[in-house]
Amino acid sequence: MLRVRGLSLRYPNGKQALSDFALTVEAGELVVVLGGNGSGKSTLLRCITRTLKPSAGEIWLADTDLCPLEGERLRRARLALAMISQHASLVRRSNVLANVAMGALGRHFTLRTALGGLPQCELDAARGYLGDVGLAVLAEQRAGTLSGGQAQRVAIARSLAQRPRVLLADEPVASLDPEAAEDIMRLLQRLARSERIAVLCVLHQVELAYAYADRVIGIRDGRIAFDLPRGQVSRAAVHRLYIHEAA
Amino acid sequence: MSLDIAGRTATRLSGTAAWRRALTTAVHCVLALLGLAIVVQALIVVEARPQDLITGIHGMADLIWRAVPPDFSKLPAAIWPTLQTVDIALFGTMVGVVIAVPLALLAAANMTPSRYAYYGSRAIIGFTRAVPDLVWALLFVTAVGLGPFPGGLALGVHSVGMLGRLFAETIEQMDMAPIHALQLTGARRIQVFSHGIIPTILPSLLGISLYRLDENIRSSLVLGFVGAGGIGFQLLTAMNLFQYQEVSLLLIIIFVIVLAAERMSAALRARLA
Repeated sequence: MLRVRGLSLRYPNGKQALSDFALTVEAGELVVVLGGNGSGKSTLLRCITRTLKPSAGEIWLADTDLCPLEGERLRRARLALAMISQHASLVRRSNVLANVAMGALGRHFTLRTALGGLPQCELDAARGYLGDVGLAVLAEQRAGTLSGGQAQRVAIARSLAQRPRVLLADEPVASLDPEAAEDIMRLLQRLARSERIAVLCVLHQVELAYAYADRVIGIRDGRIAFDLPRGQVSRAAVHRLYIHEAA
Repeated sequence: MSLDIAGRTATRLSGTAAWRRALTTAVHCVLALLGLAIVVQALIVVEARPQDLITGIHGMADLIWRAVPPDFSKLPAAIWPTLQTVDIALFGTMVGVVIAVPLALLAAANMTPSRYAYYGSRAIIGFTRAVPDLVWALLFVTAVGLGPFPGGLALGVHSVGMLGRLFAETIEQMDMAPIHALQLTGARRIQVFSHGIIPTILPSLLGISLYRLDENIRSSLVLGFVGAGGIGFQLLTAMNLFQYQEVSLLLIIIFVIVLAAERMSAALRARLA
């Protein structure tokens, strides 16, 4: 579903953030990316969403390469790619239901949606997505009043409203307590399986990777250190990812 | 030997500290003298004569004596100019908001589509703010004649500058994370604006606009003095005709309008917070 080939990124200051990076995430698979600070994890996700333009390489989303696309063609191609980040980034003064339905805005460009309205069909669907993440009862509540864990669930529901084939998650549990973090990882795992979404998740919590990932990719200095099924990832290999950071 | 060195070092250090203290005291004295000089030159330049306040008491008492009781028979005639005053402020605020919102979007560093748009809009905002509303009123009275319309235009143009700057600062301080998240969902620019930016900044924009309305009501009273309509014009006429009982009535009306506007504005802003 998501295939990255030969992806490289060099910043204008000369720093090589990613070098010849390759990975594949299949539909229904949850792949966790581990690595130290500055190893290139978040840069990888920002390249995949094309928030950053890679220096070289290919990013295949189903049968579309995102790298050469620009403008409207890129926007359309990106509809199949949802992203959640450490902070839920909800519109705090809008209610939960509206925030979820906003995930579908890219599919509905009408006068109504341009002027701040939302299609009724998407509002109805949003109730279903809120049910999927266990927050149906909070539909009418203002997003700014939610706890961190609830807000992250709403952000996941919003990404579902986008009806993505690939879901990128950039440290989605970094600001949550351990129980909420487990909840979110369980949810991502369930959605990957039930909705056949390819999930690529950047984490710092090694134990969560061991518990929920189908596959674990280790990054060090912008290169792949390992790409193995969860059961084959040794503690020593993971430890090596963080050695130079500790030093 | 080492004790001797330590003793000399301690003496040198205490000497340095004493010098530093003396220097600090001298600097403070110079600054105090400088402050005093500034105050004195201001008193000289404005030709301040406190004794005139004492000698002028008789004249003031005479004026107050002639102004009481207020002439309430003029109340019906004051209703229309009062309405004009409030409406000049309303019109000016509305014009200001309508023009300031798009200008502020161009003048906000995190929203502007280009550097030229940024500097251009900042220049317009700066210019309209720098010229006082009274000067704008004089210009518009010359252009479109006497009456409330030039007053409304003057307040509108001046409000563009005041509101534009505050709106732009509000937009610049906005949390951009939800905006970026919406952009990543594939929403178009106009959708990101209406669903992300507007709900986020609307309470602040309304609060600022209400505050501006409150200010504009006060300004519209003064604009009447230069022929821009409203109760200010009637106040000037009454003063020129020595109708001090009418003047006191108009001052009571002005006090009530300003107080009511201030209270309503504060209450609405508190609700929006």
